[in-house]
Amino acid sequence: MSGSADRSQPATPRLASRRLASRRLASRSLRVSADLGRLAEVRDLVRAAADDAGATEACTADMVQAVDEAATNAIIHGHAGRTGWVEVGATTLDDRFVVTIEDDAPAFDPTTVPDPDLSVHPAERRPGGMGVLLARLCVDEMTYRPRPGGGNILTLVRTFERNGKEDR
Amino acid sequence: MALETTMEQATARVPVTIISLDGELDASNFNELIETTRGLYEAGTRNLLLDLTNLRFMASSGLVALHSILRLIHGEAPPDPEAGWGALHSLGLDVSGGETQTEVQLCAPQPSVERVLTRTGLTRLFRIHPDRATALAAF
Repeated sequence: MSGSADRSQPATPRLASRRLASRRLASRSLRVSADLGRLAEVRDLVRAAADDAGATEACTADMVQAVDEAATNAIIHGHAGRTGWVEVGATTLDDRFVVTIEDDAPAFDPTTVPDPDLSVHPAERRPGGMGVLLARLCVDEMTYRPRPGGGNILTLVRTFERNGKEDR
Repeated sequence: MALETTMEQATARVPVTIISLDGELDASNFNELIETTRGLYEAGTRNLLLDLTNLRFMASSGLVALHSILRLIHGEAPPDPEAGWGALHSLGLDVSGGETQTEVQLCAPQPSVERVLTRTGLTRLFRIHPDRATALAAF
């Protein structure tokens, strides 16, 4: 046992620690039909990935919110009543919580949607159009790329926060 | 998780209908909440408290529902969220003075739901109370 421990002893403990921290901590994916009734499953997938990695409530809730808004947009505006699918993949890696939302809908880049003007009193602005804004506010990065062969891939990244660490 | 709604009547300075939301409010069910409110208005409700204690999640479509509920309780048709939104000045809401309307109020949101309301500025349109008793005292 002691010999084995000696062989596994890293040359530099700091390097070993860095290797351990860069491990992929949790990864889950789910494909659902383009049906608003499936959104709850998408949210549960994100929660499960966050729980696997011990995410804080705020971190989990932010990513759930952003993914729900993105998946809703894909179903309502992308598929627009046509049959299709939405696939969500959630991974925590280092201090990054990364979720991809992939679909086979006509190409649409939500990152180009302008934000509503929040300086206007809510009684005087239209109630729609808040989804993309909410998604943006909940994550640190939102990037879009067309899916090879057709469709869309949206990647959301939020700083990962574990329980025991300070919430933002 | 579906959304379940429970209705109660309470007496404050005015009669208040309380809708307790249990579950998740998203694009699949927000219209049901609007229709529930429409039925309550037709049955005479003019003051409404939404108890959010057990609301685990609220999507942006929930914000559309809140806007629509406010209009319904003021006797107006809910707006088409995509077609544009007429000013609520017609409902007698004076938004310039900083006063928030009192006919529709909210209580006990979970932190994630409260963040949605705050981030989108809806706290300027709805009074949000920590609990039901405090909310009823504000009608």
